[in-house]
Amino acid sequence: MSAIVLDRLTRRFGDFTAVDGVSFEVPDGQVVAILGPNGAGKTTTLEMLEGFLAPTSGTVRVLGADPHRGGRRWRARIGLVLQSTSLDAELTVRDTLTVFAGLYPAPRPVGEVLELVDLTADAEARVGALSGGQRRRVDVAIGIIGRPEILFLDEPTTGLDPEARRRAWTAVENLTATGTTVVLTTHYIDEADHLASRLILLARGRAVADTTPDGLRSKGGPATIRYRFPDDAPLGDLPGSLAPYADRDSRVLVVRADDAAGPLRDLLTWAERHRSCLSGLEVGPPSLEDAYLAAIGDPVTAAQPTTPATTGRRSP
Amino acid sequence: MTAPSLAVTRPMPNPGRLLVGQIGYQARLLASGRAITIGVGLPVILLIGSHGRGTQATAADAASYAVFGLTLTAWATYGVRLVAAREAGVLKRWRATPLPRWCYFLGRVIATIVVSVAAAAATIAVSVLLYHTHLTLTGALGALAVFVLGAFAWAAMATAVTAVIPTIEAASPTLMLIYFPVIIISGTFGSVSEPHWLATFASYLPAQPLADAAGSALSRAAGQPLFSGRDLLVLAAWTVAGLGVAIATFRWEPSRPRHGRK
Repeated sequence: MSAIVLDRLTRRFGDFTAVDGVSFEVPDGQVVAILGPNGAGKTTTLEMLEGFLAPTSGTVRVLGADPHRGGRRWRARIGLVLQSTSLDAELTVRDTLTVFAGLYPAPRPVGEVLELVDLTADAEARVGALSGGQRRRVDVAIGIIGRPEILFLDEPTTGLDPEARRRAWTAVENLTATGTTVVLTTHYIDEADHLASRLILLARGRAVADTTPDGLRSKGGPATIRYRFPDDAPLGDLPGSLAPYADRDSRVLVVRADDAAGPLRDLLTWAERHRSCLSGLEVGPPSLEDAYLAAIGDPVTAAQPTTPATTGRRSP
Repeated sequence: MTAPSLAVTRPMPNPGRLLVGQIGYQARLLASGRAITIGVGLPVILLIGSHGRGTQATAADAASYAVFGLTLTAWATYGVRLVAAREAGVLKRWRATPLPRWCYFLGRVIATIVVSVAAAAATIAVSVLLYHTHLTLTGALGALAVFVLGAFAWAAMATAVTAVIPTIEAASPTLMLIYFPVIIISGTFGSVSEPHWLATFASYLPAQPLADAAGSALSRAAGQPLFSGRDLLVLAAWTVAGLGVAIATFRWEPSRPRHGRK
């Protein structure tokens, strides 16, 4: 049985449609990322899954129940990490977790949870004295302390520095290893790529793609050629297929091309002429970010010049 | 077939135990903040400032200052903290747990009553120690009952009012704008007997009946009733009205602009 089933889920606020006929199912144990730009309907969708909002039309079932009518027992089976940190600041981390653990029929031991979120060393610190990243991990700790079958994470690492993000990811990975179903919203592509096995892309309230990270990458889009010219290499005689994509200040060439052979041939010719060994040349598949932007119909991507051979963007 | 999770097979925690735990948790939060400092410090400063060395404070005086501390805690401190918790998403966080909503709400209110009454009792104790306010056990127990009812009434009304306070910045000004006129015309800082209509009006507000009932209990002479039934009736009516409005209008989620969802 699927842990989550959405069927033509719609939510309107007055004349504004935040979520428009979204349907998908999530099997037990899957880690799903709901991606989309601001205003795409991610949080509204999640709030309907969590039971905070009732749909205007369509149906939603989480663990076989209507979340909006989910009782105490249902709530004991799900875990939530809300979009913003929402903790009473006065108590210590350990005391806070102990209080929340007491609400559940089968809580994880507090010590185990502290270890899972890497907060053992900060257990006796007041919540109000923690950094943003540490508080976020307390949020995750509260979300998982009840041993949830499904964990909802709403933008769990927004605003965190890279190290704090990595630690939060590790905490989530520790949990997914135990078979917990996870649904997370994020607008960080790398986060979705790192944590999720499945991506659902929302744009303007609609589901525009339901795929895997590799599936999204493979949905066409240009390959990327990246090369940093040596400091003494003259850029004045670059061929026309390359010149528009070379940044004169950073001396970095970034060409995104549906067919990479042409620009590559031109680059090799240029390198032979200047006896350059092309050290550091990178030729890679389309980035997940590019594929994502193309899938959600990003206007910047759509405005890029397109030729039968080359779709490129001037490097920054 | 996978085995059912422990959250399905094990019994849910007992609501009574959850309520006791919640009262303890909320009381710890309240007591670790500025509530006690404000609820005890301000009335004691005013008590000391209005009584010279060697003078005696009457039971009515002590009751007035105790009521000031109690209402500051049950109305202002509680109300501001409630709005802050709602706007910071703390209430939503609790709502997402299996804790029954009534348990959270009642735990918060009862913790406020406990801390408010403790603040009032501390003021009375200072008055007894420094200004020789005469106190009997019956009178003290009577005042305790009045303080509990009074704190309940003020906390219930504060809960009702928080529904229309949109932001944490607006909480303190809004609550104080209501609080000080009520406290002043109710004679907490000196009796207001004129105009007559104002005195009559004040007798229907929740501050004067609270101070009168507490003062009456503390200074009760043998053979006299502990307090006026009318005073208790007014407090009970404010409690019921406050609770009714609070239950009908209470918001668990922060205010957000229209179409503000993502």
